[in-house]
Amino acid sequence: MSTAVHLDEITKRFPGVVANDDVDLTVERGTVHALLGENGAGKTTLMNILYGLYEPTEGTVHVDGRARDFDSPADAIDAGIGMIHQHFMLVDPMTVAENIVLGNEPRKWFGTTVDRERARQEVIDLSNRYGFDVDPDDAIEDVSVGVQQRVEILKALYRGADILILDEPTAVLTPQEVEELFRVFEELTAQGKTIIFISHKLGEAMHAADDITVLRNGKNVGTVKADETSNEELAELMVGREVLLEPKAEPQEPGDEVLAVRNLSAEDNRGIPAVSDVSFDIREGEVFGVAGVDGNGQSQLVEAITGLRTPTEGSISYKGRDVTDASRRSRIDDGMAYIPEDRHERGLVMDFDLVQNGILGSQHSPTFAADGRIHWSDARDHAERIIDEYDVRPPHADADAESFSGGNQQKFIVGREFEREPDLVVATHPTRGVDIGAMEFIHERLLDLRAEGKAVLLVSSKLDEVQGLSDRLGVMHDGELMDIVDPRNTTEEEIGLLMAGERPDADATDAEPPVGDAK
Amino acid sequence: MSTTTIDRLRDTELSYRATLAGGALSVFLLIALLGLAFPSSIWGNLLAILTSRSTLSSALRLSVPITFAALGGIFSEKAGVVNIGLEGLLIISAFTAVITTAVVGPEMTVVGLPAIWIGFFAGVLSSVLFSALFAVVCIRFKADQIIAGLAVWLIALGLAPFAATVYYGGVNTDNLGTTLGTWTVPVLSDIPFFGALFDADPAVYMMLVAVPASWYVLNRTAFGRHVRASGENPKALDTVGVDVSRVRYAGVLLSGFLAGIGGSALSLGLGQFVGNNQTMVNGKGFIAIVAFLFGNYNPVGAFGASFLFAGLEAAQIRLQQVPGYGVPDSLIQTIPYVTVLVVLALVGRTRIPAASGEHYDTGDDNR
Amino acid sequence: MSATENAKAVLRRLTAASATERILISFAALVLAVLVGAVIILVSGRITTCQTAATTLFGTGFCYDPVEVYLVLFNGALGEPFLLNDPALFNPGWNPLNFGLALTLKETTLLIFTGLSVAVSFRAGLFNIGTQGQLVLGGLATALFSFFVAPALPSGLVGGLVLIPLAVIVGALVGGLYGAIPGALKAYADANEVITTIMLNFIAAQIAFVLVSEFFSNPDSQVVETTPLPGWATLLPVAFPQGGDFSILALAFGLALVVGVWFLLEQTSFGYDLRTSGEQPEAAEYGGVDAKRTTVTSMFLSGALGGMGGAIWVLMVMGKWQAGVPALGFDGITVSILAGNNPFGVVPAALLFGTLKSGSLAVQFGTGVPKQLVGVLRGLIILFVAMPEFFRMLGSAIDLEPDRETVATDGGALGGDDE
Repeated sequence: MSTAVHLDEITKRFPGVVANDDVDLTVERGTVHALLGENGAGKTTLMNILYGLYEPTEGTVHVDGRARDFDSPADAIDAGIGMIHQHFMLVDPMTVAENIVLGNEPRKWFGTTVDRERARQEVIDLSNRYGFDVDPDDAIEDVSVGVQQRVEILKALYRGADILILDEPTAVLTPQEVEELFRVFEELTAQGKTIIFISHKLGEAMHAADDITVLRNGKNVGTVKADETSNEELAELMVGREVLLEPKAEPQEPGDEVLAVRNLSAEDNRGIPAVSDVSFDIREGEVFGVAGVDGNGQSQLVEAITGLRTPTEGSISYKGRDVTDASRRSRIDDGMAYIPEDRHERGLVMDFDLVQNGILGSQHSPTFAADGRIHWSDARDHAERIIDEYDVRPPHADADAESFSGGNQQKFIVGREFEREPDLVVATHPTRGVDIGAMEFIHERLLDLRAEGKAVLLVSSKLDEVQGLSDRLGVMHDGELMDIVDPRNTTEEEIGLLMAGERPDADATDAEPPVGDAK
Repeated sequence: MSTTTIDRLRDTELSYRATLAGGALSVFLLIALLGLAFPSSIWGNLLAILTSRSTLSSALRLSVPITFAALGGIFSEKAGVVNIGLEGLLIISAFTAVITTAVVGPEMTVVGLPAIWIGFFAGVLSSVLFSALFAVVCIRFKADQIIAGLAVWLIALGLAPFAATVYYGGVNTDNLGTTLGTWTVPVLSDIPFFGALFDADPAVYMMLVAVPASWYVLNRTAFGRHVRASGENPKALDTVGVDVSRVRYAGVLLSGFLAGIGGSALSLGLGQFVGNNQTMVNGKGFIAIVAFLFGNYNPVGAFGASFLFAGLEAAQIRLQQVPGYGVPDSLIQTIPYVTVLVVLALVGRTRIPAASGEHYDTGDDNR
Repeated sequence: MSATENAKAVLRRLTAASATERILISFAALVLAVLVGAVIILVSGRITTCQTAATTLFGTGFCYDPVEVYLVLFNGALGEPFLLNDPALFNPGWNPLNFGLALTLKETTLLIFTGLSVAVSFRAGLFNIGTQGQLVLGGLATALFSFFVAPALPSGLVGGLVLIPLAVIVGALVGGLYGAIPGALKAYADANEVITTIMLNFIAAQIAFVLVSEFFSNPDSQVVETTPLPGWATLLPVAFPQGGDFSILALAFGLALVVGVWFLLEQTSFGYDLRTSGEQPEAAEYGGVDAKRTTVTSMFLSGALGGMGGAIWVLMVMGKWQAGVPALGFDGITVSILAGNNPFGVVPAALLFGTLKSGSLAVQFGTGVPKQLVGVLRGLIILFVAMPEFFRMLGSAIDLEPDRETVATDGGALGGDDE
């Protein structure tokens, strides 16, 4: 076995941040190598250096035993490296074949014209060789995420890649698609290809990789063989201390109904149905969790509930009042707090300081404004209180939101929404991008709100989070609420199947007895 | 997401445009019907105007600057740079074409090339240089594309009358006493009505070539695909080793080249540059933007929309010559602008290239 | 980060320039525009013909001397306090209340209105290029209203006190309604406001022309204009000479509006809604801002300010409406961009641009350089202010500004890398 990639003492600094600190990495040819670590550990930066997107501040990259100095991805491609990014680098309106040959189009007529027939044929040949099932003539925007990922892999192979880098390849896939992907890995390594994949899920790394390298805070904290290590060892390497227990909500008797969603359907921005016929309710002192792979209608469901999207069908009632067509502002005024999934787009105005961001949503409320005039001194006190109580660092109320790190931005949003004295908290991915300490804190506060008798709608793609915090758990797939389960008496595997759209023995348990069959 | 819903969506969008086109056609048919029924009414006059060969001829001529600017806009915007300065490119090339011809001497010939053609190419060159400035400002210096485009327009709007005043002492140039003339194809030009296609300004022929050529370049060449990718997902292009900036520069320069042809043809078709108020370009660059939006970034569609707007203009000019209706000229002159407004309101939700208007850099050391 | 996020981050960085940096950039853009303008003056000095060269560089004679042009410009704008080419330097006969300065302040006053109009819309994230059209129709409404109502009022001071404020309000209303049209088209039909406002400029000019020439023309005049208003119904110059068409009352009103617009933007809930919509529409929506209503309201407000500009133009400068309205609306774009869309910044920017405009007349008279030069400078200033990155590169090349340290405390990448 020979060495495919060797990274030698790589350091990468961005202004104010050291993303990679003296990292060594060796990947053997024909193996699957997992790069494991928490968000922000520097995994993607390291791979972007290998792919020539970034230049290392210090250190050298060796490919096939030769030192390389990549100025651009073109150089890396020439050296036989292909990268499949987390956000696919595909041109949506173009076809599968057009995307695969982009930049290397076969030509005819003295190079003036793309030889479309040859391009198609080459794509068909390539996908046959690796056993991929793709139609070269489909437009990218019409095919599933799993197929798009295969197109990305084919794109790299078409360019003659021997080393494939995949950044968080499983984040957008259902468990079944993940299995399919890992089979593709086996096929590729069998044909001599080398695979490096980035992940923050240690189970996946154990399952699919030959070797695992763990990064923490930009440093390589250890490379191990998958069959010589344990989950516990990897977990400790990743977080640097004993892993915390998953949060568990003590059973509690819920009160009156706060939110009732009935037969709700909604479309996404392109007018395509995204939520279909969803019904559930949430009562006081209850956490209702929604699990599902990202992009299965959770966003549109939450937007309909919070008043950012008009449902196409169905109704929403909040505190006994029909709010299906109520404005966003009236819902805020009526005590609905909302931690949005995209803090850069929605949750914060990036160019406003925290004083101004602290009253986002309350700019018309009597607490901060009278006769249309804003009391900025009250707003400042409010922002400083949030900063203090939610440990936002650095504690500068006058700094623009964009100057804070993601975790601190999130803490500020969480603080602002929790301090609204809400009756319902809609929390989507409330702990995304925050460190473990902040995560524990946010979990505790959510459970405090529950204990105070507030209703909570918790949407998260982290299964352990929703499972640990919820009293009842709805699982979404392709816009439908597959089932509502008791998270305390359901296994991760069962939920995984629901997330993949499979109703286990639906006929056996849920089917009504046929009419006339009653005794 | 299911394929059928997307297909349905495409169908509705398509049928939406078809409805608009059908609407235009039914308006025409209505006029035809009314015109045939009451030949001596305004409808009869309108019908006569719409079906006259000279209206077709002037509609073709009037659509030249709009179409070329629209083609240019397509290349620029497909590549990811919103070019709102098309109006400025038309102005600068229209002016440069005339003044160059005047300086060379309208009757002169240099190396076998008549002065008016030297002026023509000089106009195109000036527009390319202006677009190069715009490209550097937008791509290299990451300027806001809308504001930079406005600046291009306003600079040209100031510079052309300024230079005309320096040279001629007034904002209008003198008349050259010569134009690009017409090229006539024997026999074919004798066909009734459609003969206008074969007895036209040279720029009309250029336009009839440029439209399918632009379509071909965009859809059948590797460059065209790179242009499209650069506007939709520049990172996709970058990661396969194609230089996004280069593609964008090429797109913007092409827009300068094409708009330059339109501008030169506009002024040299008349033999003069008119520089008062909004100059002789008078919003054609902005109408071009609406034309390619209406044509959904398809060169053929953009030509269709340009021709529609130009047809309105031609009919409007002819209508002014019909005596006895008492409609003030200025009011009739607003028809094309109002139409543009209505069209824009109706097709406002055009699918624009996803990354259009956004800067692109590879992100290294730049966060 | 996806390409889109990346691009947005760049955009945010560009707009996040600190106040000092903004002033520096505006200033640098101005200097650069003046320099490029000088080159243009030199080049046009080669194109035109003259008896004797005004200046000689590298052995080549030029008809125009840029330095002289700019000196004449500023001197003329101030009413010639300096004696150029004279050792005495200061003009002993200079009176601050002079004609040149009146012209400058007249332009400044008008530009404060149009600059504010553009600033309000830009702050709301709307590129209102239609201030010109709003000004044309607002001005016409003021002229017609005053013309028809004046006979019903007692002439003199009392009549003026009643009529003038009402006429300004009418101008504001009409300008505002005309501005609300592209606002509504944007909000409800998603029509790009840049194009619609430009189209509406063309339409406004034509409509106003038709209305005046067909229905309200001055029977005693050959030009397309309304009948002149009686003197008491207009803003008469106080202290400054008659011909300067400058009324200090109008300037005071403009300055009061500056404070008013600032208060509205920074101190009120509506201003918060407007600014949030402009900065980040998605966040505004999240914060309960009714995006459509804010768009229409902001455009109404912007149009009303433009309409007031038209009213002041009619009442202070013309005493009537006349076809061929100067391009004050387009100049307003320059003023607002130069001011970083800040209401207080509008004042110096308007003064500066007013100086350029009034000085350009002295330039045309004194040196023969056409006054259209200001139009060129207008475009150049906008272009240069639009490219702050250029000046940053220039700045870092000469190490003017140290790299700003970013704040990151939890070790993550800036802004947080989501999973």
